[in-house]
Amino acid sequence: MDLFLTYTLVGLVMGAVYAIAASGLVLTYTTSGVFNFAHGAQAMLSAFLYWQLSVGWGLPVPVAFVLVVLVFGPLTGVLLHKTLMHGLRDVAEVTKVVVTVAVLLGMVSLSQWIWNPTEARSVAMLWGNSTSFELLGVRIRYHELLCLVAAAALAIGLRLLFTRSRVGVTMRAVVDDPDLLRLNGYNPDRVAMASWAVGASLAALAGVLVTPVAGGSLEANTLTLLVIDTFAAAMFGRLRSIPRTFVGALFLGLASTYLLGYAPTDWDWIGNVKTALPMIVLFLVLLVLPQDRLRGAQQRTRERTRVPSVRFAAGWAVAFVAIMFVITKIANPLMLGPWTAALAFSIIALSLVPLTGYAGEINLVPLSFGAIAVIVAYHTGVSGTGLDATLAWKGLLIGTVAAALVGGLVALPALRLRGLYLALATMAFGGLVSTLVLSEVTPRDWPIWGENTIFPAAVIAMPHLDAGPLDLDDEATFLMALAVLFAVLGVALVALRNSGYGRRLAAMKDSPAAAAMLGQSLVRLKLSVFMLSAAIAGLGCILMASAVGSVAPDNFLIVASLALVMLTVVGGVSYVSGALFGGFMVGMGFSLINGTFGNLEAGSDMYAGLFGSLSHVFAIAIALTGIGVNRNPSGIVNDICESYRPLRNARPVLYVGVAAGLVLLGLNWVEVIGDWSFAIGIFCVVVLLPVLGRIWMPERVLTESELAEHRSRAAVVPPELRALDGPLDPEERYDLDTYLGLPARALPALDETPSDLEATRV
Amino acid sequence: MSEPSGGAPLLETRGITVRFGGNTAVDDVSLSVAPGCVTGLIGPNGAGKTTLFNTVTGMQRPTSGRVLLDGTDITGRPVAKRAALGIARTFQRLELFLTLSVRDNVRVAGDIVNAGRRFRGGSIDVEAETDRLLELTGLTPIADREVSDIPTGRARVVEVARALMTKPRLLLLDEPASGQTEHETDEFAEMLAGLAATGLGICLVEHDLPLVMKLCSTIHVLDQGRLIASGTPAEVQASPEVVAAYIGGEVLA
Amino acid sequence: MTSVVTDRATGPVEPEPIPPVLELVGVRAAYGPIQVLHGVDLTVHPGQVVALLGPNGGGKTTTVKVAAGLLPMAGGELRYAGQKVNGISAETAAGMGVCLIPEGRGVFANLTVRENLWLATGTGASREQIEERAYFRFPILQDRRNQLAGSMSGGEQQMLALSRALATDPAVLLLDELSMGLAPMIVSQMYDTVAQLVEEGISVLVAEQFARTVLPIADLAAVMLHGRIAAVGTPAEIDADLSTTYLGG
Repeated sequence: MDLFLTYTLVGLVMGAVYAIAASGLVLTYTTSGVFNFAHGAQAMLSAFLYWQLSVGWGLPVPVAFVLVVLVFGPLTGVLLHKTLMHGLRDVAEVTKVVVTVAVLLGMVSLSQWIWNPTEARSVAMLWGNSTSFELLGVRIRYHELLCLVAAAALAIGLRLLFTRSRVGVTMRAVVDDPDLLRLNGYNPDRVAMASWAVGASLAALAGVLVTPVAGGSLEANTLTLLVIDTFAAAMFGRLRSIPRTFVGALFLGLASTYLLGYAPTDWDWIGNVKTALPMIVLFLVLLVLPQDRLRGAQQRTRERTRVPSVRFAAGWAVAFVAIMFVITKIANPLMLGPWTAALAFSIIALSLVPLTGYAGEINLVPLSFGAIAVIVAYHTGVSGTGLDATLAWKGLLIGTVAAALVGGLVALPALRLRGLYLALATMAFGGLVSTLVLSEVTPRDWPIWGENTIFPAAVIAMPHLDAGPLDLDDEATFLMALAVLFAVLGVALVALRNSGYGRRLAAMKDSPAAAAMLGQSLVRLKLSVFMLSAAIAGLGCILMASAVGSVAPDNFLIVASLALVMLTVVGGVSYVSGALFGGFMVGMGFSLINGTFGNLEAGSDMYAGLFGSLSHVFAIAIALTGIGVNRNPSGIVNDICESYRPLRNARPVLYVGVAAGLVLLGLNWVEVIGDWSFAIGIFCVVVLLPVLGRIWMPERVLTESELAEHRSRAAVVPPELRALDGPLDPEERYDLDTYLGLPARALPALDETPSDLEATRV
Repeated sequence: MSEPSGGAPLLETRGITVRFGGNTAVDDVSLSVAPGCVTGLIGPNGAGKTTLFNTVTGMQRPTSGRVLLDGTDITGRPVAKRAALGIARTFQRLELFLTLSVRDNVRVAGDIVNAGRRFRGGSIDVEAETDRLLELTGLTPIADREVSDIPTGRARVVEVARALMTKPRLLLLDEPASGQTEHETDEFAEMLAGLAATGLGICLVEHDLPLVMKLCSTIHVLDQGRLIASGTPAEVQASPEVVAAYIGGEVLA
Repeated sequence: MTSVVTDRATGPVEPEPIPPVLELVGVRAAYGPIQVLHGVDLTVHPGQVVALLGPNGGGKTTTVKVAAGLLPMAGGELRYAGQKVNGISAETAAGMGVCLIPEGRGVFANLTVRENLWLATGTGASREQIEERAYFRFPILQDRRNQLAGSMSGGEQQMLALSRALATDPAVLLLDELSMGLAPMIVSQMYDTVAQLVEEGISVLVAEQFARTVLPIADLAAVMLHGRIAAVGTPAEIDADLSTTYLGG
């Protein structure tokens, strides 16, 4: 009985923390329509800051607590809303998701910059780990009591906020009808900002409370992924109802504690199941949620895409393979490794093109599906040991198919619902893979499979594919094989977009209601494209593993997946070139830049700190590009292409560009400049050429209206001088009056009009 | 209510009621639509016309009542299945595929039909059929324009062409004339009459009453969710309830 | 209506008048690609009741939305009391005394009656004052004060919506389809309330499909067809042509 009560207490405490975090998430989502994937990251940053204040700088605990929960929390919430979330009204779901994911990544980078992750940190319970009292034979620590009291107070407080305060009532009203709220004289944006402030301080509170409860050691990734447990709880209330979210949170807390407490002692895997329980429950909840109603409520979004023709794609594919061929010839042979990794990652990123680019659905964890493919390929296709080991075609194929099948299984429960639910389901799947699959590093006796290990010794050495006459062990050959595969897949995807299937995907993305009305089964179509996408991710991951040589569970981290997804969207997820951008940034950019700064740091004592910081700045800069998706939701590559379009009329500019490229190539060839400088040079040329065009030959590059604007900007007349050229028209006169601060015309104020009239009538 | 002469109705609703919370949007409506002619469904704003359309197409479950197509109960069928049975519609607030061209908007409907019939045979020649429908609806000159930058009137015709691609037996049009110029409306009416002559059953929700009066052989009038009149244009126009429903209050004149 | 008001409405506008409370000049507006208003000119003088009539799809709702700042204009000019206010936000407009009771039910369905009334304080009135005025005019609301607005009958919801206009003392009241889906008795009760507001000196622009419910209290009527003002005249003039306009003769 005592034991049961103890388990219950521990479960309730965990549930209380989940409830605090989850109610903040639900609050911001319902009032602003943006699902905050960075909610856990905010909790994480708050926990670190709390550690810094209380342990690092030795501030009194209550002061640190108040500073974090009541100052830092609301401030980050307001800041996020003001700078980012507020502008996310007329963008597609994908853009909203990616912006918050970018915030997540930026916060993780920031925390790792400030707090070196290799140092261990721990947070003690408030009032210490041993301050406690006994009740009914159960030892209750004050910190645990605080969690329970905080959750209970929050439940009551939110209830009061929503019914007894005007701010709270406006929060409910904005969910009901934002336009009507405006007619009542309120600004829905202000309301959303208030809810972001409250939501962020709840994240901060949860962050400070959770660490000691969950063991005490402070770890950025674990805390960041608290968001998964949180949205599992929120799923109980369909991401809307806060009371039901509380119930879900308490259920999760209790269930996981009882599970751990009452499981037979020889179930050594139960700890992992406990960690994964919220994700398992999430899938169960998805199964029972009622289907979303189809409604014809089309919204225009800012994303724009251009569909390339197959011929155009084929041309670029040939050019791409040719460029890669040149690179294998000129690049330092030691540098080929990052190139192959980048291409393999580009193939993984291609999986997002049909799914997210064409169909508008989201998979946040392509690498987790890839992990399944890698494991299956390893167990079914690798033969031989050491240097003689090879991967058979069979393994590649079975691995790819396995990823597709698992993909279908994961997606199926979420497909009846809105796109966001699919994104959440994939992220939960990422969590499942991390905790249940990638952690299986020791042998176990499986029912059918027998004595075996899923991820032997936490390292899978993936040999190269046995491709008959083609010797893929040769770096250059393997690189060319990947380049050709990428080109072929890329053209195939463009062809797919131009086929009936691709048009159906576009139709479904543009208007699900109309597509269904024409007879399209939405679930079937989404399922097929998700499986296709998972298959490509699986194939790409097997090749990535083989390009890198050996992979560890760390290669499939959710954060790595998120970075890949984000960068692909930044590049332009509707285009093959966007996938190339994402793949190269992840496969090459990270390793090269960290490597370079790392070398510089090691090589120069004086500037070690500077170079160390620079690599962190770079990591954060990458997250900032993701945040920039908000400004430019169609992707960077699309932007660059658009800026090149007008240059067709300005051939000389293009010739200058080609010449500059050749000069750089020559300099690199004779080793006057290194590969790095070459790459940076090429990048500058590509970006600056359109700018050059605008300056050098504006009349050929700019459109009529742009030219007109160009000229008028050159000749701005201050308002007070305008009348010198001729009489003012009424509009100008009005502008001038306003400019000079004069009363425009002697007019009675609007508000006084009725009373004036009353007076005249009486 | 007055049954059009000659054969069973194509579409029949029996006692359809739809409630949203405390509001009854459609209240016990039984009406029918015959093949080969245009049936009008009119009524003031908020009368429940679009809600009734939504129950016929499956986008809205009725609280009670049944929907029959050719005598078969389809009340529980999902939206996509009903399309395969021959129901097509257009939307009051345009639902075009904004990233596709005019031609592809029509063509994708054929793609969908063929994908559904892949294992059952009877696939259509999408290219030829697209060209035919574009010609029929007069969209050929703008076929390669992006659908996001054509005028509303044309966009409504694109929705009709797209619906026709599925070779429907019953076509539900939700305010197709709004946004069309007078000239466009005339052409549109002619086209609808032609389509009805081929045996297609058309149900038309429209506020342009002259158009409705001209085209329809039968008109149903909804007011506050209830069916208040059914009959020929002349009968409906003469009905005091209809005049009251439209102009409001007591009939003065 | 009193003849004084009618004279003020139809008489020639002298160069030294009180400026119109609300003025739309050549207003164009669109929902995405769908252009709905093609140049609307409309003027509401102080104390005047202007009826905006016409069949659905004519652009009445869009016109009042533009007038209340809820929908951005694609062209033209919007003026409050003679001041150009193009691009004004709905919340600012509400603060300046422009009150729109929107089409459908202008209430927050998931808020109680009291909470709905509470939100009406956004434009400055006190909570007690608003409740007092609303309950005085519509006693039924007092009985329902703790009930969710969405669970009330259509008529009661419309009373609640209209309470905002009653209580906040706006300069100009915009009404959109006040009678939509309501029984005739309720409709006439609504318009009695509107008439009372007019007595108090509030200017009203009422978009209404049911012409004959609103014509008796109107000083001026305008008919909208296809996003344009097709006719402007006295209620009597407009009434004569109603059948033709609506039912196409």
